[in-house]
Amino acid sequence: MVIRQKGSDVIKQTVWTAITLTAFFFSGCGQTAPTLDGTKGKNNFTDATEISGDTVTVNESGEGGGLGNSSADGFRSVYFDFGDYSISGTMQSKVSADAARAAQTSGKIKIEGNCDEFGTDEYNYALGLKRAKAVKDAMAAEGVQNGRMVIISYGESNPVCSSPTDSCYARNRRVDLRLAR
Amino acid sequence: MKIEKDVEHRSRIAVIDGSDVMNGKVSRIFLSDLKISGHFLSDGTVHKGDFSGSFVPPGLKGREYIVKYRYTNPNGPKLEVRLLKASDGSQLFEKSYALSNAQKMPFLVHKAVYDINRILKYPDIGWINRYVVFSRYTAPKRSEILLADYTFTYTKVIIRGGLNLFPKWADSAQKSFYYTSYAGLVPTLNKINIYTGSKSTVASSEGMIVCSDVSDDGGKILLTMAPEGQADIYEMSLFTGSKTRVTHFNGVDVSGKYLGRSGQIVFVSNRLGYANIFKKSIGSGAVSQVVFHGRNNNAVDAHGSTIVYSSRESNNAFGGNRFNLYLSSANGGTTRPLTTTGSNQFPRFSTDGKIVLYIKQRGGSSSVGYINLESSQSLLFPLGGRKIQSIDW
Repeated sequence: MVIRQKGSDVIKQTVWTAITLTAFFFSGCGQTAPTLDGTKGKNNFTDATEISGDTVTVNESGEGGGLGNSSADGFRSVYFDFGDYSISGTMQSKVSADAARAAQTSGKIKIEGNCDEFGTDEYNYALGLKRAKAVKDAMAAEGVQNGRMVIISYGESNPVCSSPTDSCYARNRRVDLRLAR
Repeated sequence: MKIEKDVEHRSRIAVIDGSDVMNGKVSRIFLSDLKISGHFLSDGTVHKGDFSGSFVPPGLKGREYIVKYRYTNPNGPKLEVRLLKASDGSQLFEKSYALSNAQKMPFLVHKAVYDINRILKYPDIGWINRYVVFSRYTAPKRSEILLADYTFTYTKVIIRGGLNLFPKWADSAQKSFYYTSYAGLVPTLNKINIYTGSKSTVASSEGMIVCSDVSDDGGKILLTMAPEGQADIYEMSLFTGSKTRVTHFNGVDVSGKYLGRSGQIVFVSNRLGYANIFKKSIGSGAVSQVVFHGRNNNAVDAHGSTIVYSSRESNNAFGGNRFNLYLSSANGGTTRPLTTTGSNQFPRFSTDGKIVLYIKQRGGSSSVGYINLESSQSLLFPLGGRKIQSIDW
C-alpha cells in the first residue's frame, strides 16, 4: 500500500523498491517537481513518511478470562456504596458466609472487584481493586489463607445490568467470588 | 478572563472540489483537517469547480489560497491536490496520492492537508496523520481494540474477543502498542505489533496492570501495578526488565505520566481522600499536590510540564455526571477550562502537545473531541454506541 507522487519512472521504481523493503511508504525522492496535466509544480518536496501498511486483526475469542458476571461455586457477592470500598455492616454477613464456603472448598479463590459505569480510566479499576482487597482482607480475618485468594479488578467492564436505575448501578458496585479455574 | 487573539495567524483558504462526482466524506475531512490544524480559516464549504485550470471564481479571490482537489476511486482511492494563490491563480504545489485500500481514504486527505500546511511553512501538524488506538466494551468481560484515523471515519479492529484493555502506543512510529490482557488468572501487560500480529508479554501483576506512559525514547514505561493488592506506580526499564516502585501509598496511585524529561511524573491519587493530581520525582519520596481545584480529578495527561485533567463537577450516584477538562501546569500558574458542557473524559495530548483529544458524552451519544489549544478551535466526531474503555493517540 503506497501513497505516491506522480512523476517519472525513476520515482515509481524507487517507490516499488521501498515497498519490497518495508511493505509500505509514502513515496518520495522526487528531485524534480511532479506535474499534473502538464502544469509544472513548485515547492514540492521529498517525502518519506510512513503512513500505514496492512495491519492485522487478531482474534482472541478462544481465550477466556473467567466468564460469568456474578459469584459462582456457592459464594455470594458483596456490595458497596457509591465511590466506597469499605465493607458495610450488612455486607459483613456475606463475607462470613463466603469464608465459611471457602472452608468447604479447595484450590484458589478468585475475588473480582467491580464498579458502576460512572468511573473511567485507571482510577475506576483501582477502585474495583480496593473493593476486592477489602473482601480479601475480611476473608483473611475470618481465617481464609491469603495464599488461596487471588484478587483482580474488572473496573466497569463487567456489569450485571445496564438499565439507568439506582438499583441497577448498586448491583454493579460489587465483588464477585468464584473458584479459580 | 483571558482573550486570545490568534486570527491573524491563520490563512483564509477556500476548497474547490473538481471531482466528477463529489464525495461528502472527502469534503468533510478536508474542512475538518483545515480547521483543526489551527492554521487555516475556510468558509466551511467545499465549492464545486474546475480542477485543472488556474481559474479562481471571482467570489473566492479575496482568500489567500485555493485548494483544488479531484478524488477518484478507480482501483483504490486516489486524490489529486493543487494549491493556488487566490489572487492570480498561480500554482504553489501539486501532488497526487493513492492507496490500494479504499477504507483508508481519510489518510489521503490528512496527508494532503499535512503537505499544504508544510508547504506554507506553518508549524508541523504530524499528529494529523497518526492512528488513534482505542478499546471499547462489546459485552460484559468482552472488549475489542481498534485503530482509527483522528476523525474516526476509518476504523479497524486489531484485537477482537477476550478482554483486552488500556492500549498505549509503544513507539513514536506507531508500530506496536501495549495493552492489558485478561486471558490468564492475573492481568498481563502485552505488546503487539500491528503489522505482524506478533505478541510478547512484558509484565503481569495480581489485581491490575496498566501501561500509563512511555518515555520519549521508548526505553522506559510507567506502570500501574498492584503486586500486593495496592495500586501503585512503577517504572520499568525495557532494556533490563527491572521495575522501580515510584509511589508508596496505602490507597490509590494510578495514571503516572512523565513530565517531559525532568525525571518527574504526575499521577492521580486519593491520598487526600478524593481523586486529585499530584507530582513527584521518580528518585525521591516527596509528593506535592498539583491541582487545587475540584474535588474529584480522576484522569490526567502531560506534555512537558503542561497537564490536562478531567474534573468531576457533580456527584450524582444516579448518572448524568458532569466532567470538564482543564489545562494547567505541573509547576503552578493559571488553569484554563477547556470544556463547559457534558461529560468530558480521557484527555490525551497530541504528540506536539498542541491538541487535546477527549471523549464527550452528552445525552445518550458519545463523540471524540479535539481542541486546538492555540487557536481554540474544536471538532467533534460522533462515535458508535459502544462505550470507549481507553484511548491513545
